[in-house]
Amino acid sequence: MKRRDMLKLAAFGAALLTTTALLSTGHAFAQDKKWKIGFSQVTTIEPWRAQFNKDIIAEAAKHPEVELIITDGEDKTEKQVADVENLIRQEVDALLVSPKESAGLTGVVQQAIDAKIPVFVLDRNVDTKDYTQFVGGDNKLIGRAAGEYAVELLGGKGKAAGNVVEIWGGMGTQPAHDRHDGFHEFTDKEPGIKYLLDQQSGDWKQDQAYNLMANALKTNEKIDLVYGHNDPMAYGAYLAAKDVGREKDIKFIGIDGLPNEGVQMVNKGELTATFTYVTPGAEGLRQAIKFLNGEKVEKTITLPTQKITKENAAQVLKDNGL
Amino acid sequence: MTALKLLSRTKLYWGLIAIFLIGVLGSPVSSKGNNIFLSYGNLLDVLRQVSTTGLIATGMTAVIITGGIDLSVGSLMAICSVVCAMLLTVPGVTPGVVLGVPTVALVALCLGIVVTRFIFLNLEKSRAGADAAARDVRLDTVRGLVTPAIVGVVLCCLSLWYLLPQIEPKFGVLGVLLVAPCVGLLFGAINGFIIVGGRLQPFIVTLAMMVTALGIARLTAGQNNAVLPVYTGSNATADFELLRSLVFGVIPMPGLFFLGAIVIYGAVLRFTPFGRYVYAIGGNEEAARLSGIAAGRVKIATYAISGLLAGIAAVLYVAQYRQGKPDAGAGLELDAIAAVVIGGTSLMGGRGSLTGTFCGVLIFGLLSNILQLHNINSNLQLVLKGMIIIGTVLVQERNAGDLLAYLRLPGAAHKETAAAKRPSQETPSLNLGGNKK
Repeated sequence: MKRRDMLKLAAFGAALLTTTALLSTGHAFAQDKKWKIGFSQVTTIEPWRAQFNKDIIAEAAKHPEVELIITDGEDKTEKQVADVENLIRQEVDALLVSPKESAGLTGVVQQAIDAKIPVFVLDRNVDTKDYTQFVGGDNKLIGRAAGEYAVELLGGKGKAAGNVVEIWGGMGTQPAHDRHDGFHEFTDKEPGIKYLLDQQSGDWKQDQAYNLMANALKTNEKIDLVYGHNDPMAYGAYLAAKDVGREKDIKFIGIDGLPNEGVQMVNKGELTATFTYVTPGAEGLRQAIKFLNGEKVEKTITLPTQKITKENAAQVLKDNGL
Repeated sequence: MTALKLLSRTKLYWGLIAIFLIGVLGSPVSSKGNNIFLSYGNLLDVLRQVSTTGLIATGMTAVIITGGIDLSVGSLMAICSVVCAMLLTVPGVTPGVVLGVPTVALVALCLGIVVTRFIFLNLEKSRAGADAAARDVRLDTVRGLVTPAIVGVVLCCLSLWYLLPQIEPKFGVLGVLLVAPCVGLLFGAINGFIIVGGRLQPFIVTLAMMVTALGIARLTAGQNNAVLPVYTGSNATADFELLRSLVFGVIPMPGLFFLGAIVIYGAVLRFTPFGRYVYAIGGNEEAARLSGIAAGRVKIATYAISGLLAGIAAVLYVAQYRQGKPDAGAGLELDAIAAVVIGGTSLMGGRGSLTGTFCGVLIFGLLSNILQLHNINSNLQLVLKGMIIIGTVLVQERNAGDLLAYLRLPGAAHKETAAAKRPSQETPSLNLGGNKK
């Protein structure tokens, strides 16, 4: 070890130390908070997740006694588990988790429960029943609503006929399966409805859905309806149809109905309809605060869905200040 | 004590201590007045969190020392995790069985043959004396073909005898611990064979394998790339508690695997001829070949071992997260390469060590932990991590001064010769630059 190296490392260490010192100044302000609530989010890249975070932050702003810590799992199970472990170490008063997938997060949720931290599971469930509460939308319910509407669009009950392209979300994710199953409860009863694709996934992404649809358009003369498991994918399919001049004879149905995304698309007439999948952010935080203040909370809260079409889109936008 | 000595050979030893001290000094204090960073649970978390990346980085180090790179490890881990979860949860003949069991048989057969031949060759060489090393030793038919074949077939039958009865119920943890690493080993060996035999760039071969293996993982998982939970309450889980548990109540099992891999592979690289060949090939492959090293075989072995470690990492992943899925290990190869490079291993090959990699992995893990404990915005965390990688490597390579000089910033050596040439040896000792040699 030369003296030069020592100096260098000292400089390096000093630089690091100042960085951490600078970054941790935020801690000083958090002393007068009554509750420290941790929220482990899967990712912040997806629009729905971004809205989710927006909702929970807006709700937290209404409760000055709450310090909210949000972590970002960067869409990796390993990272999210590490995040939750970290929140447990920070001895939060309540833990909100929106798991990337059920199996992967079960162990660490159990760990939090064992550490006597009340756990609120949001949007996707885990494989244990010991959590305090589950708050989420019901994807099957939304799928049913979409299926019912699709049958209506294609000619009504018993008479519906047409070629349907279904673009799956991430294969192997529960929401995609639920949205598929609910939809098919209605459409499978109609002998006139044909499916053109066999379980093709756009992985929730607009660009992948565009490519899927572009291929489907090349191989099929007639497509009547596209059902995308979320709005960006339905929109990607719409763009693909538009680029070959066929968007007029196809109906597009999406799911999620975010104000700044799906609702706008419906309002512009790009999508025929979308069904809202409300983020559990605000409700989850409200419930957690309620619980911390000693009130009873229900085991499960299911958030309702709303159909958004050309008729009510403008109103919804107005309600959301857009 | 020896461990300390080994560690102190790498300057990173100090970096590790520095990071640790920052963690301790800058640690937030919990509401109960405990130092969170130092809490026993937190340090265990760190060790457990880094062990998967650590195992992958261990295999990657040797590959990088030979001057290669292995981009396929993440996807190999995905395959192994899918196979692993499938064997544990679904009884009967599944894609996991179809892929896993024949692979074990094949690996057992080949290993039996190769190892037996190797032993006979060495015996022959040591008998023939010093001059034998310089020329090829011929083995007769019995020792060159017949005996190895018998040993291989026996090993193959033994492995099948062990695995076949487990297909109908579900596989136990030991069965899986045999299958997953073998699958990794096979794919790793395929990487090596194509690189050596086809004389292609490791980068492109392993890139292709990364894509291919991801496809195979998804095909194996079949039905919608389903996540396969290792259901709680099944035999598998009872076994798997073991892989999640603390050994002697102190070290988490994944951490033990990681430490074990570092110690064993480290010893192999440091003290065996094989290790010296690895360094020699990285230094100058042509020269190594001319001096009688079977460079091709050594390279194939490093890729195979890299795959094997990815397989072990996959078993730990399944134990840890109770699931195997095709996107397990996505992006892990880059984390591993970052840790290896921080550890002072040169991407040019020929220089590096596993102690360095160990420090690199821990530095990265501790850093993530500290940043997360301070609840720093996660996007900013990524920026900081990137800067730390560059900073650490600059310090490692002793090029910080060169960069300053090149940018004509203060702290550089010669003001008048800034950016023109490297500072010379006679600079004052406060200079941050300086020559390497």
